[in-house]
Amino acid sequence: MTDFSIVIGGEAGMGIMTTGAIFSRIASQSGYHVFDYVEYPSLIRGGHNAYEARIAEEEVGTLCPTVDLLVCLNEDTYVRHKSKLHPDSVVIYDNEEFTISDDCQRIAVPFKKILQELKGQAVMKNTIAIGAALAATGTDLSRLNTILEKQFAKKGEEIINFNKKFAEMGFNHVETNYPLLVKNLLAGKPAETKLVISGNEAFSLGSIIADCRLYAAYPMTPASTVLTTMAAWQEKTGIIVRHSEDEIAAINTVIGASFAGARSSTGTSGGGFALMVESVSLAGVTEMPVVIFIASRPGPATGMPTWTEQGDLLFAVHAGHGEFPKIVLAPGDVYEMLELTAKAYNLADIYQLPVIILSDMYLSESHRTLTKSFLDSLITGYKIERGKTEESSKFKDQSSKYLRYKITDDGISPRLIPGAPGIYYQANSYEHLEDGHTTEEAKPRIDQVHKRSRKIDTYFKNHFQSPAVFGDLGKSDTVFVGWGSTKWPILEAQKQLKNQGKETAFVHFTHVYPLSKELVQPFFPAGKRYVLVENNSQGQFGKLLRAETGISVNENILRYDGRMVTPEEIVSRVNGLTSSRV
Amino acid sequence: MSTIQDFSGYTPTWCPGCGDYGIGIAIKSALVQLNYDPSQVAAVFGIGCSGNMNDFLNAYAIHSLHGRAIPNAIGIKLANHKLPVIVVAGDGDCYGEGGNHFLHACRGNHDITVIIHDNCVYGLTTGQVAPTAQKGFKSKSTPAGIIEVPINPTALALTAGATFVAQAFAGDTPQVISMIKEGIKHEGFSLINVLQPCVTFNKINTYQYYREHIHKLGDGYRADNLQAALTEALGINQEKFPVGILYQTKRSTYTGELPQVAEKPLIGKQRFTDFEKLVPDFI
Repeated sequence: MTDFSIVIGGEAGMGIMTTGAIFSRIASQSGYHVFDYVEYPSLIRGGHNAYEARIAEEEVGTLCPTVDLLVCLNEDTYVRHKSKLHPDSVVIYDNEEFTISDDCQRIAVPFKKILQELKGQAVMKNTIAIGAALAATGTDLSRLNTILEKQFAKKGEEIINFNKKFAEMGFNHVETNYPLLVKNLLAGKPAETKLVISGNEAFSLGSIIADCRLYAAYPMTPASTVLTTMAAWQEKTGIIVRHSEDEIAAINTVIGASFAGARSSTGTSGGGFALMVESVSLAGVTEMPVVIFIASRPGPATGMPTWTEQGDLLFAVHAGHGEFPKIVLAPGDVYEMLELTAKAYNLADIYQLPVIILSDMYLSESHRTLTKSFLDSLITGYKIERGKTEESSKFKDQSSKYLRYKITDDGISPRLIPGAPGIYYQANSYEHLEDGHTTEEAKPRIDQVHKRSRKIDTYFKNHFQSPAVFGDLGKSDTVFVGWGSTKWPILEAQKQLKNQGKETAFVHFTHVYPLSKELVQPFFPAGKRYVLVENNSQGQFGKLLRAETGISVNENILRYDGRMVTPEEIVSRVNGLTSSRV
Repeated sequence: MSTIQDFSGYTPTWCPGCGDYGIGIAIKSALVQLNYDPSQVAAVFGIGCSGNMNDFLNAYAIHSLHGRAIPNAIGIKLANHKLPVIVVAGDGDCYGEGGNHFLHACRGNHDITVIIHDNCVYGLTTGQVAPTAQKGFKSKSTPAGIIEVPINPTALALTAGATFVAQAFAGDTPQVISMIKEGIKHEGFSLINVLQPCVTFNKINTYQYYREHIHKLGDGYRADNLQAALTEALGINQEKFPVGILYQTKRSTYTGELPQVAEKPLIGKQRFTDFEKLVPDFI
């Protein structure tokens, strides 16, 4: 059964990510599930880049602790990854560039010589390498050739064939010289059509499905690919993308557009979100629907830009001065990203408040296979809900006045889109009366505070989604508690523990804020060992859970070195093999 | 036909004699003279004495944060570019806290009209110095006199790419009305910097001061010459304040450059549903 890991590594700026993306697509087209993740330094040139993927017949969402196929475009790749090799691992490398002494299977491909012979550019080393890798995994060049044809379609037949030649050289070299090392890993199997999609792309696609019409942002790793993906879609979809002068402008552009009636969103990482915070509060008090996407990276300050951490949860939850409601959603994979993104726009409109989608580098920039049928059913089932809105005709005779901040039982005041003739109102950042005018009087202040906070009661009644449970809560002694992107490492750990005969359960939160004691308590029956798994140093969700519901989780598995917590460390920690990190 | 009364909200709370009264009546008059009614205009207000006009002027409005009115206005314009959008803010708000937005709005030629109450002080926080104050201006926050030289609003706008740059004096309401009307009519980014005496906290830049230091750009002045406009704008270094349209030019607006909204405003478009077009990117 196919379940293998591959690493393609080389110097930053040499096209490793593109090569990796192509490999993932070929694997997906061949019928397999893929999870890939690129670890790279915050550099444009130089430094080390490595695409790493796990390709399997079952769904996957983590990388492997070992490497089955290591493709080295430079010696550095070998040095950095050799500790993950096992005796059956295959290493593709150029033996004129460096030598290998470790115990593994070797495929020497003369990258340098082929480049010189065919007069290719340095970046074409990738094409040779991917050809070699496809040979080593037992498939052919047909899918790669189709991709190359599309990629270079505008440049003409000659360039297409020139590129194909490099792939062919790599492929033939392996097939001819190393037939015994070829494994039938990508031989192909019938399977339904799948997309290979990153978390950021899933957010982008979810936004388009939800009829988002404006996206304003300032580039910041690892959120920038939302900006570039959406920008590239402007012509196709008609969305407006504004690369604004800073993050403060981005969120305020979104607030203005939202006021005028367009579904709008912005996205950034923790640092950019810090700049937006005052305006989150503005959206809160003016009751503007706003969707904010945060792709976290390790902070504080500039931190580690190209690495991962769940370090902004409490920041996101508490963002904004003063007291106002907001909703924070944390998807655990691309499926949940698509679903929750589309839902976020509805929630923002229904409740007229900021909705934050909290992602991180691991989810945002890793790619996973997602079935086309899931996407299709999401699209078919999705209904745009703009929430309570008013028709202007109702107010034409002046007998009833439109009240933008009308006191209601559910806390939601009907919106009216500006431009409706004969009416006007102000959205006010000051505390205001029902009609929007500024007030400093005690009673209307209290009424508005209560009105705004009642929206959350309505949310609990109508839209809060309880955590998902994986495994059998009743039968399991050990229960993992997690949120967002730790989903798959925990699921994989559960699988490994099951193989060891240990049944566990996993309570996975996506609707992370606000939390209701009444709705969450049933997921925490007494007498079990609860283990919180988070990618931060303080167990932020554990704190939030305790503060909001009184539920305490006493055992933690925390990782905060910029790397995602691995299934293996979860397993060993649960088994008590290593001491606590904190 | 709308009237001044239609645009009048609450009674203003500005200090007696404040230059804001002149600007307030000028904005309403300009909107009436342009045949708008309050439901046909969007206004975004900054925070400060000027921003308090939010309660005194009827329109579709956002009373925004300090410094952030311009990006809100840009957002409204992107969503519905058929709606005239004006920004009302103070010099501290727009040139201090929101200075970055101001620069980039000029560059983008967003079709909004920015009306700045330039009084050289922060009135609402009781009289600290503003970025337009002359060097040496003593205030509560600069008891020894401000060290920085002043921002030059019109020169800044001119060099950042604004396509309509005007200055007016709050003591001359008809002239303010005329500038606001021209600014709203202009297709593209328009700045009207209004010299506005603060009778409570600024004892230097008084009505009398401005009457002595302003000069109207005469009939012979041509507003299509950027160099001439810059020369006039830089005159404030010698305390010579030009009043009138310093510069006006044609350049396509931000939304004018967006094929997405060439036919209909963003909010009026059909929802995009051809999702299959996006799928090949991922397969």
